[in-house]
Amino acid sequence: MIAYDKKMLQNLYLVKEVKQWMKDGYLREEQFRNIALEHPVKFYHPNLIIRILLFIATLIALGGVTGIFGLIFAGPMEESIMILAFFYGIGSCVVMEIVFIRGNHHYKSGVTEALLYHSIGWTVAGFLYMADWQIYPGLIFGFVVLAFCAIRYADLISTTGAVLVFAYLVFQAFYDMGDIMKFLVPFALIAAFTPIYFYVRGLSRKIEMQPWKNVIILVEALSLLLIYAAGNYFVVRNTTESLLDLYLEEGQDIPYAIIFYALTAIVPVVYLYFGIRKKDLVLIRVSLIVIAFSVFTFKYYFSLGHPEVSLTLAGAILITVAMGLFRYLRINRSGFTRENLIKEKWAGANPEAFVISQTLGGNKPLEGEAVEMGGGGQSGGGGSSDRW
Amino acid sequence: MHIQELKELKNREFIDQGQFDALEPIVSRKLVSVFYELRIILYLGIMLFTTGVGILIYKNIGDIGHLVVITILFLLTAACFYFAFSKAEPYSNWKIRTSLPYYDYIVLLACLLFISVLSYLQFQYELFDNGMGTLTLVTSLFFFYAAYRFDHLGVLSLAITALASFWSISVSPQKWYTGEFLDSDSLYRTAIFFGLGLCISALILDKVGIKKHFTFTYLNFGGLVYLIGCLSGLFIDYDHYGVFLVALFAGCAAAAYYAHIRKSFMFVLYAFVFGYIGLTYFLADVVLDDAGIWFFYLMGSCGGFIYMIIRFKSYFKRSA
Repeated sequence: MIAYDKKMLQNLYLVKEVKQWMKDGYLREEQFRNIALEHPVKFYHPNLIIRILLFIATLIALGGVTGIFGLIFAGPMEESIMILAFFYGIGSCVVMEIVFIRGNHHYKSGVTEALLYHSIGWTVAGFLYMADWQIYPGLIFGFVVLAFCAIRYADLISTTGAVLVFAYLVFQAFYDMGDIMKFLVPFALIAAFTPIYFYVRGLSRKIEMQPWKNVIILVEALSLLLIYAAGNYFVVRNTTESLLDLYLEEGQDIPYAIIFYALTAIVPVVYLYFGIRKKDLVLIRVSLIVIAFSVFTFKYYFSLGHPEVSLTLAGAILITVAMGLFRYLRINRSGFTRENLIKEKWAGANPEAFVISQTLGGNKPLEGEAVEMGGGGQSGGGGSSDRW
Repeated sequence: MHIQELKELKNREFIDQGQFDALEPIVSRKLVSVFYELRIILYLGIMLFTTGVGILIYKNIGDIGHLVVITILFLLTAACFYFAFSKAEPYSNWKIRTSLPYYDYIVLLACLLFISVLSYLQFQYELFDNGMGTLTLVTSLFFFYAAYRFDHLGVLSLAITALASFWSISVSPQKWYTGEFLDSDSLYRTAIFFGLGLCISALILDKVGIKKHFTFTYLNFGGLVYLIGCLSGLFIDYDHYGVFLVALFAGCAAAAYYAHIRKSFMFVLYAFVFGYIGLTYFLADVVLDDAGIWFFYLMGSCGGFIYMIIRFKSYFKRSA
């Protein structure tokens, strides 16, 4: 099923993890070297920066290739150019697999991703043209291609694409059935993604699913988010208004509003509760995002009109909660600890410093600043720079 | 990792019983760390709180309620600094390890609140005569002090961005994206000298041995400001574009050289991306005028580049 050598992939993940253990002081360096020696990895799997560099370069180079093909074929074959594009897309995927994956043992090298997305793009575009831009064949074909790439290449962006296209397919199907069914779209989505979540979560326990572990985590998280979003009052109300031609007067509300208010309030709590009970970090992390969105939803419809007070209070509450939990978890309780057991790769001091500098102000030029501070009151990430 | 794989590592005697006992609860998730979750909550809290306070300060000035808010703000700032200083390790030129998992965020909160207090005093009592300029400079200097005293990279990056904004340069990708990086056209010269100055001071500090782990942050900001300054000059100031092209290539060469000696991939990325943009701009001006040649240039240059990176892959391997 997977395009890569499974044994080697397992070795790669194992060695990566053991290396982190060594860095965190669980193992000695010569132990790591022994393990790495006994678990050989032949992959070309460069670090993130080189991957980005190779990805950009490959995309530009592919742009050149496509352009040359375009110049050659655009004139004489005006009509069938999109059919050619379909085969060009498939062809570039085959080239990726034979030349780069089989021939040179590339594994997520940046080159492979660029070729893969390039291939997906042209194949799907070509198919859409051949299918006369009809929505269902297009969506189904897109889903099949993305799911195929997600499974065969364990690619995360294809996975995201596949899940979202599937969700859209469910949405479109119910929407097109009309009448009552239109209003059942949220429940259809919940009904579709709940079994997917539990099925995928079951898979994550199996040792033979290790090569897909990141794909699985991603599908879990996306399913949870979609289940929540389908029941969120803000999302439901906005989609209802814009898609079902429903114009709400002052004092009116969407049908079954009470159900969606309840879901908005209850789902995050359920996620958090089971996340803590099952010690499931995916659930806990998703629940945190979703709690924030629920607070936003209720603030949006029941605002008291003082955003700065809300901001300050929300901040104070978050600080208090975090500090309280830090104090509470001084000692391990029910299997939770506040200590950093295994460092995450993305959480170095340098990236953190960069995030702080970008979100906590200090990057606004002086000129034109004048004295109109506080007037803006922008909230959210980048907007906090007019604090001073 | 699956628990079976860990057992196998022990059975094949790669790890001993003690190490197995230490790792087993982590791998089997009997013990789960919420370190990052709590820190992110705390961070978001600090962000929202300081933003909210920043706005509150300027609203309803003169009210009784406002006075209460300001008083609380002063007390809170004092409390945070008391905490920061009382738990602080003595100053050292090296990296300082703290045992409290939230210590550095309290320092951050203290610094941000202090700036709120300072800008309130400026707003209300005209603390500094010539307004926002001095305030920004003082802010920056204070951040630098705190960054070195408490060994805090985040505060250091705030200090650098504040210093940059004193020179009217905004150090933020969002701003570059919308083309607001430099307020007025001639600022690219300021940016070039500012970036250069930042890089040189960073290298001197590194040489002397003061806080070597700060060097990356300095060079990262300085290098980016310098390279963007050169690029802006190249695009805007057509009459002197040769000068800026040479400056750009010199900067890229320096970045590549630094990347070479320190094995820092970030600077490889900068060197190549900026170098490529500069080169393409130059060639577009001189030779590239036909669509066909363009496509061959794109294909050839990037294809050759990919080939080179993969050919010398052992060179680009992470050393540590």
